[in-house]
Amino acid sequence: MNSAMFLVAAREFRQIAATRGFWITLLIIPFAFAVGPVAGHLMQKSHTEKVMLIDPSRQAAAAVADRIALDHQREVLQSLSRYSESHDLDRADPKAIWANHDHYYSDYEVKAFVAAGGAKAAGRKMARVAAPDTPPFQEPEADYQIVPTPPVIAHSNPAELDKILPALINPPKKDHGAEPLDYAVYVPADFASGRARVQIWSDGPVPGQLMGVLQDTLTRAMRLRFLEAQGVRPEMADAAQLIAPMIEVNRPSPGKGHEQMIIRSILPLLVSYLLLMSLMLSGSWMLQGTVEERSNKLIEAVLACVSPNQFMYGKLMGTIAVGLTMVAVWVVAAIVAAFATQGMIADFLRPALEPLSHPSVALAMIYYFLAGYLMISMIFLTIGAMSDSFRDAQSYLSPVMLVIVMPYAIVAQAVLRDPNSLGVRIMSWIPIYTPFTMLARLGAGVPMWEVVGCGAALAAFVAVEVVLLGRVFRASLLGADSKPSLARIGQLMRGRGAE
Amino acid sequence: MTALLLDHVTKDFGEKRAVDDLSFAVCDGEVFGFLGGNGAGKTTSLRMVLDIIRPTSGRIEILGRAPGRENSADLGFLPEERGLYRTMTALDTITYFGRLKGMTRNDARAQGKSLLDRFGLGSSANTKIEKLSKGMAQKVQLATAVVNAPRLLILDEPFSGLDPVNQGLLEDEIKRLSREGSTIVFSTHVMQHAERLCDRLLLLADGRKKFEGTQDEARATLPARLTLAARETPVGLPGVASAAEAGNQDGWTLWDVRLEPGGDPGDLLQACTERGFGLRKFEQSRPSLHDVFIHIVGDAEGRA
Repeated sequence: MNSAMFLVAAREFRQIAATRGFWITLLIIPFAFAVGPVAGHLMQKSHTEKVMLIDPSRQAAAAVADRIALDHQREVLQSLSRYSESHDLDRADPKAIWANHDHYYSDYEVKAFVAAGGAKAAGRKMARVAAPDTPPFQEPEADYQIVPTPPVIAHSNPAELDKILPALINPPKKDHGAEPLDYAVYVPADFASGRARVQIWSDGPVPGQLMGVLQDTLTRAMRLRFLEAQGVRPEMADAAQLIAPMIEVNRPSPGKGHEQMIIRSILPLLVSYLLLMSLMLSGSWMLQGTVEERSNKLIEAVLACVSPNQFMYGKLMGTIAVGLTMVAVWVVAAIVAAFATQGMIADFLRPALEPLSHPSVALAMIYYFLAGYLMISMIFLTIGAMSDSFRDAQSYLSPVMLVIVMPYAIVAQAVLRDPNSLGVRIMSWIPIYTPFTMLARLGAGVPMWEVVGCGAALAAFVAVEVVLLGRVFRASLLGADSKPSLARIGQLMRGRGAE
Repeated sequence: MTALLLDHVTKDFGEKRAVDDLSFAVCDGEVFGFLGGNGAGKTTSLRMVLDIIRPTSGRIEILGRAPGRENSADLGFLPEERGLYRTMTALDTITYFGRLKGMTRNDARAQGKSLLDRFGLGSSANTKIEKLSKGMAQKVQLATAVVNAPRLLILDEPFSGLDPVNQGLLEDEIKRLSREGSTIVFSTHVMQHAERLCDRLLLLADGRKKFEGTQDEARATLPARLTLAARETPVGLPGVASAAEAGNQDGWTLWDVRLEPGGDPGDLLQACTERGFGLRKFEQSRPSLHDVFIHIVGDAEGRA
């Protein structure tokens, strides 16, 4: 008679698969994979901020602009160095500055790098030794761009600037196409005397990086003038500005350390998220179906052919099949996307898939996924059996969803910070959160005793849940009283008052 | 052979006793009426027969076996509260129920098509239930119950909610299945259907059996009732319990006469002849099942 259970499961699957919502949800992820990169490219907004320098003396502006350009090149150099290390390209020119990792590049080194042709020249050298599937180097976007100062602004005093600049920094919406200015900096001619103030106009807080550049550049100019006033020869005063400590940065090579932990956690976190998402969707479809069966009074006819247990397990099987189908389609779409875009995504996927190379981790992930599905689906199924309408179901569903979903965001963040923190470990032992938490943690490595222990606790919880909620389900199927109270649910769980 | 047997079956829901020591048997091929007012315990009894709920005590035997889903291949059931999967087509719905009863997919579909044709729904086989009229959906529901040509068909208030056309269709289907050898048990509180269809019937009130037997046996439980046209009162004639004037016809008085329980109208006619009691009309009225029901079960349930 188990064939009856499969028939119920198949009908459940077909009913859900016949809905538009199922197909929209099923295809939305592959669609996102297909359209995402294009849309991302089209919608990509430059994060480069525009800075206007107003400098009547025409001394400080050039120094600030040079400093901004130098800092950007330092960022390019650091990024290039990381790229070279990641793709084993140091051998292209072992003596190059970018082949010297793990230290803060001095102004001198950055200037030398620029003088040697910058990223373009380095890229040409690297290309000679790079493997064919090595993605090209992406130069980081500059943080700031100096925009030309219109003559009318260049010759205005601060009082006039106060009137002109707000309109440029925060232009009216109707002024389409006008590129708003992010910051305007006014450096008075006698700023070095300390009597006149440097002024900044902005639409919001001024980033520390820009403040640092201004502070540093203008302070240098003031110090230079002070040292010269003290009789220090100009070349000595200038040399004093170059005195800087050598700073060594010790961090793991690319793809190691915290970075490695994050990359390895991405797939399990993604699986955990997929579990949550597909569960919410397929669970709510199943709930709708059960509410329909109850409210349409067709349960009795079905129960004449199928036992309540066969009916319950059949519906659970159908829902799990729907969820797994969705996940399978999404995973296939991700793999296709990875193959289609080889370079970057594949480069990212390789280390991310590493946890799956251990059969025990892969098995644990499958186990937690299925157990999580069963656990939550059972709750949806029982709610459906207790409700005559979706509105009735909603009153049970809302608090349940709050309890299940809310902590997920916290777990995901906590796992990325430290997958073995006390909070995360405690969550792993709370059965209702075990599947999500353990799935999210598995990539970063979880002690075997914990994997087995949490798995056993979860199995015991699911078994007890199926027995207790199964009683509520069976009693509610033909029960005349919809929306039973919590006390009544407790009674039904204890097997009292049924039939 | 006995198709259905209930032996001292009792069902309690908490403090409430829904079925009380109920015993009856339905023979193979019979059309058996299960009559009672609302809340008499009909649906509970039928649910126990189908193993949807279990009795508190007593024994049930169905086609010689204990209740259970293993009987579903031989059973058909039409519940009182009916509904179908709205998004399934008519044919898929019938096929689904056929398969739940152990039929192969091909057999269930073939039988489903043949039933839909017979019910005049052949062209709607692939129409979703939500697109069918209520009457059409009722036919599909009936088809789900009989798709497996059941040896025992159980119908719970089958005529409730049906339009006159579908009531006729259902009666025809019951007669057809009966001719083909199926045993049919149906509950109802509409006596006219029972009168037309039942070989035997059982009257239930407050969960207890009040009567089991044929329609004639049921009628015999009521005192015989006669209409006489006579010049003098029949009160005092042997067997007459009461007589009331009921009008006048061509100078003769019409009398509504009730005999004493067990009294035979033939004996009264013989007594009239022997005594020279002049009669212009001697007409026996046959009591309806409705009268029997009210007599046995009581006025309150009769009105229900």
